Amino acid sequence: MPSQNVLVIGSGPIVIGQAAEFDYAGVQACRALREEGHRVVLVNSNPATIMTDPEIADAVYLEPLTLESLQAIIEAERPDALLPTLGGQTGLNLAVDLYDRGVLERYGIRLLGTPVETIKLAEDRQKFKLKMLEIGEPVAESEIVTQIEAGVAFGERVGYPLVVRPAYTLGGTGGGIAYDEAGLRQALGEGLHASPIGQVLLETSLLGWKEIEYEVLRDGAGNCIVVCNMENIDPVGVHTGDSIVVAPSQTLSDLEYQMLRSASLNVIRALNVQGGCNIQFALHPHRNEYQIIEVNPRVSRSSALASKATGYPIAKISTKIALGQTLDRIPNPVTGVTTAAYEPTLDYVVVKIPRWPFDKFPLADTRLGTQMKSTGEAMGIARTFQAALMKALRGLDLARETLTGHGFAQWSDAALDEVITRPTHERLFAVAESLRRGGLPARIDAICAASGIDRFWLHELAQLVALEERLRRAGAAEDVRTAFEAGYSVAALRTLGVEEPSVPAAAFRMVDTAAAEFPARSPYYYISRGEQDEMRPTEGEAVVVVGSGPIRIGQGIEFDYSCVHAAWALKAAGYSPVVVNNNPETVSTDFDISDVLVFEPPGPDEVEAIYRRTKARGVMLAFGGQTAINLAAELDRRGVRIVGSDRVSLDMAENREQFDAALARLGVARPQGRAARSFRQARVIARELGFPVLVRPSFVLGGRAMEIVYNEGQLASYAESAPPIVPDAPLLVDKYLKGLEVEVDAVCDGTDILIPGIFEHIERAGIHSGDSISVYPTQTIDAEMEARIVETTTAIAGELKIRGLINIQFVIHEGSLYIIEANPRASRTVPIIQKATGINIVAAATRVALGERLRNMEYGVGLHPRAPFVVVKVPVFSFSKMRGVETILGPEMKSTGEVLGIDATFAGALRKGFLGAGIRLPRDGGRVLVSIADEEKASAVPILARYAALGHRLVATPGTQAVLEAAGIVCESVRKIAQGSPHIVDLIAARAVDMVINDALGAREVSDGYKIRRAAVEASIACLSSLDTARALAEALESVAGPPRSLQAYHASRVGSR
Amino acid sequence: MSLPAALFLADGSCFEGYGLAFEGLALGEAVFYTGMTGYEEALTDPSYAGQILTFTYPMIGNYGISGSAAQYSRACVAGTVIKRIAEHPSHYRSRQDLPSWLTEQRIPTLLGADTRAITIVLREHGTIWAALAVGESALGRAQAELVRYARAATTKGLVPSVAARQARTEGIPGGPRVTLLDCGVKRAILRELTALGAEITVLPYDADAATITQTAPQMLFISPGPGDPTDLPQTIETLRALIGHLPIYGICLGHQLLALACGGATYKLPYGHRGGNQPVQMLETGEVLVTAHNHGYAVDAASLPAELLPTMTNLNDGTNEGFRHRRLPMAAVQFHPEASPGPFDARRLFAQWFADAGLA
Repeated sequence: MPSQNVLVIGSGPIVIGQAAEFDYAGVQACRALREEGHRVVLVNSNPATIMTDPEIADAVYLEPLTLESLQAIIEAERPDALLPTLGGQTGLNLAVDLYDRGVLERYGIRLLGTPVETIKLAEDRQKFKLKMLEIGEPVAESEIVTQIEAGVAFGERVGYPLVVRPAYTLGGTGGGIAYDEAGLRQALGEGLHASPIGQVLLETSLLGWKEIEYEVLRDGAGNCIVVCNMENIDPVGVHTGDSIVVAPSQTLSDLEYQMLRSASLNVIRALNVQGGCNIQFALHPHRNEYQIIEVNPRVSRSSALASKATGYPIAKISTKIALGQTLDRIPNPVTGVTTAAYEPTLDYVVVKIPRWPFDKFPLADTRLGTQMKSTGEAMGIARTFQAALMKALRGLDLARETLTGHGFAQWSDAALDEVITRPTHERLFAVAESLRRGGLPARIDAICAASGIDRFWLHELAQLVALEERLRRAGAAEDVRTAFEAGYSVAALRTLGVEEPSVPAAAFRMVDTAAAEFPARSPYYYISRGEQDEMRPTEGEAVVVVGSGPIRIGQGIEFDYSCVHAAWALKAAGYSPVVVNNNPETVSTDFDISDVLVFEPPGPDEVEAIYRRTKARGVMLAFGGQTAINLAAELDRRGVRIVGSDRVSLDMAENREQFDAALARLGVARPQGRAARSFRQARVIARELGFPVLVRPSFVLGGRAMEIVYNEGQLASYAESAPPIVPDAPLLVDKYLKGLEVEVDAVCDGTDILIPGIFEHIERAGIHSGDSISVYPTQTIDAEMEARIVETTTAIAGELKIRGLINIQFVIHEGSLYIIEANPRASRTVPIIQKATGINIVAAATRVALGERLRNMEYGVGLHPRAPFVVVKVPVFSFSKMRGVETILGPEMKSTGEVLGIDATFAGALRKGFLGAGIRLPRDGGRVLVSIADEEKASAVPILARYAALGHRLVATPGTQAVLEAAGIVCESVRKIAQGSPHIVDLIAARAVDMVINDALGAREVSDGYKIRRAAVEASIACLSSLDTARALAEALESVAGPPRSLQAYHASRVGSR
Repeated sequence: MSLPAALFLADGSCFEGYGLAFEGLALGEAVFYTGMTGYEEALTDPSYAGQILTFTYPMIGNYGISGSAAQYSRACVAGTVIKRIAEHPSHYRSRQDLPSWLTEQRIPTLLGADTRAITIVLREHGTIWAALAVGESALGRAQAELVRYARAATTKGLVPSVAARQARTEGIPGGPRVTLLDCGVKRAILRELTALGAEITVLPYDADAATITQTAPQMLFISPGPGDPTDLPQTIETLRALIGHLPIYGICLGHQLLALACGGATYKLPYGHRGGNQPVQMLETGEVLVTAHNHGYAVDAASLPAELLPTMTNLNDGTNEGFRHRRLPMAAVQFHPEASPGPFDARRLFAQWFADAGLA
């Protein structure tokens, strides 16, 4: 194929149901396209991704993923072709939209890979069902409905329970299981709204059937291979993204395996898929019968898992297929000796366990069903299921190293049975505790009957539970060895009472797609205990980069971004990067990013083993987020050398007393505060400081359990719900200063400092920086303050003896600069500042850690000049996936992802940011519902006046309305909930308003405000809970954004402006 | 109670583990199977006769033994090596757990060994004579026995040990008459032929041409089987006499025998193909099929006479996977279109051969 200009659409911000897997897929796709000599135009609004780096595509557009911006980009770039199937559901939907509106035809753009008819067929439940019947593949009895009454009629005809699946949504948004008519009415209401085409599939429930997935590839010539099959431990009924998944299947006979394999090929051929495809089956546990649940003709979360489980790069090969190549002509990138027409065969077992955000959302409905709720996942590879399970479990970073324990012994039998029957995220532990109570094998039968979990898994779990019990009682050498072979850690053994366990040597085993049948080239390993080692020596001196584990709120894809850049920088400097990580969705776990990939939980045992085996120069902890940083003390104890900022710096930054002492030496102010070792002491400190105060445990990420409390009552209720105070991590109590928040990322080498730029937040201090809108360059800070920020940053970095990255958050309160916190590591803003300035601070930090001096590098020193354009980061939340959670923003982070708006002006960048974040800007004359706390009413008036001036009609609760009327702003009135229907929530539920502004900063109680905010989420209406955000949105609405421009063009303008 | 056990390879390497609760010593050729499912089919596949089979997949026995998946009336392997065996299988078709079945079948079994390390040795060294010993007494004499065995080891007796001793009929009475020369046939092949409505006469591998002709076959089918095809010169002669007189088709060993009968040559592969993921390309269309394999020998495509057209090749190592006669209804494949265990991509070949032979 002659060189083409190919458009690739990414998947946008990380939300529940669409996470980092599309960065992995997009990066592979772009690299494969450029390998074949094509020019790549990439559009994605997510700045934390590797794929949006200017090195990955020829033109990178960090622009909103909307039809309008894509049309403008197409107009500017005139692509020849569009690759639609690598950007998740978002990218796919946009491609279909562009096709449907004739944009592709008008510009003569060819769709590469799987044809649009196939995409539509797979998404349109009715057409899909007919097609499956035509080719003789069974699908569950189902009906497409677009109205509630039709659904109820179907329910009467076929009976309950019914599965509700909205069309064209990701992660099963809006879906659920209805057990009766009332439940069906509710589920249909939500599902019809969630579906962009107002269509829902109702199907008879296959609850209790085995859920099996096949990842299949087909080329344009019709050749098909199965890359991997997977079996869910949780039977049908729990979304596959929320299920514990095992690859390959374990309980299927060869006949069943081949039956579903043949069916997969039958389906993918009939659908004319050209590329990757995921097929989900329900398999009857006691009959030779199956049903097709759904087909995704694109790369997906499951294909990312299958890629990492087998080593087979599905996204890369899918891209080559889309370019017209056939499997038999593509070399196998893993073995190097075979072709891509090769079905991987494994000689190990892979287990994936989801990571749920319920630790952040105490009010959330934790039951699992057809709507996905997890934010990420951890994968374990081992020679046995048990070891793979334990590695995945430990890799979740939940501080749970064992199956039993964790307080489950206090649960009643009834409470355990409830969770076993109606699953929540705790089911695995509930099953383990139930097994621990004995009475096998009857207990296994009972759990199997209640949960549908196959006996095979229960027997495996029962063996682990018995092993843990034996270790607790005696700790015999034989059992200790068995435990290590079964994936346990030193820490796990310690919690089981074995203080100094002798650890069998770690053997590094290769993931080769071929079960050792062919010698492979892949540098992809996992650890097995008590077996033969087969790791090859590295070419250069090894340096270990410790990854950040599963994606969770507060520790997202941005840390993977930093790890990847660290690996690349090491390579460029002549070292051999060795990455350890256990997140199958990420770019860092692609085996061609580093010289050696060890797919393991980034725990102390693993990092130490890798460090010693590779004779590494040291380990880098600064890029893997708090997970990696938390290893410092233990690794230090074990004699593992940390390169970059070492344990001393980390302790100084994280230990309150040490940090305060450092600040005192420098004369830097911070909000007054102290560390409390009990809640009683916390109250004393709070009284001393005066309310409001900010409380949080030390050594946490994402502001977990961080709150602003306004009085003693709130402090008391915080004490009830917060994690207990432990000696190693006291509770920090600080005076809360409401002011402008400023954030700096810098690199320090001990002499010089590099500050590419300073961010300023839109929302005043009190909202977690991850949840704030932040702006670069700063808009309101004068040169004098800027100089003070630089000076203070330099002083702190010096005092903390930073050798690498530091992230500092400041608050400017009444003209004075206070430091809130300093983190000696990469931060959430690192990818953004790299994108905004073009300065690779991760590379700079990596080189500093290895001993290079900043002044000898190409990045410059000191504060860089401001960019001649503005970038605005807007957070994105997944509240619609989380029934019941409080959406109000505070010091505890709640967003799952972010988008970037870039424009020549601040207002234009804001506008693009809001658009990219999916906030539906109210149309002219749209209705804006406002409900403002009394103390904020005065400051709200000028902001709301701007909405009125924009032509919006305001609707307010009586108090707010009175204030607005008094200020001469016309405003409708709506009743408060207590005043009876029709009240404010009714109005929202009826979608009679376009946006809600509900300022309630500091509120804690479940209140009217909570009901208003939840109603808005459920009705998919934007709800702003801070007046600062409302002011910014008004500014965006008043402005016009400039045309899309590529990152490369922005960077060129920056060079020009110097 | 488990006994100490070990696998001794003729190159001197040894892999330790434990056995099932009976003593035993197996001598044979060490090979590995890469399929992730299908252990019951593999363990009962007559082509594994005389071999000590290592499963590369580490968890074996998870869905028990059904009986219905068996390819023969008993286990055929000489011994087996499994990383982790399931004591509590779970499947609605399971009648017995694998450890008790292997015990019943008296198959010396090594458990807990590093099967990947064994596989790497076999890959690097090539297939190798081996002894699998379970129990102290067997362990004590295993190495001496291996030395003695390796000096004289041969595959010669393998086909007779699994082939039919007498003629019998199977399939659908009155259907197209297929005579099957049994060198160690799998039940799945008889199942496929039966599914096409054939009346099958099963004859021992050494039946002569006259005996075969007497069955008035509309198709002669040569089965797979264990060992080296050159061990069966009489069968090759018989085939040579029949070529041109009736449609002949063959699978695996049958493919090799047919090639030899036509004047082609076979050779021993370094470590064979045993698994369910071998990509085979049809040379005439370019289509790729994923196929089941179980063979240690291969047909040398370059040696085939002009009238035989190579039709398929292995994408992994370029070995010949099939040929057909340019004029006569005669064809054979190296792989197993009957699967069992393995994928069914090539199942259609049976119907195609029936059509080519004028039976459909």
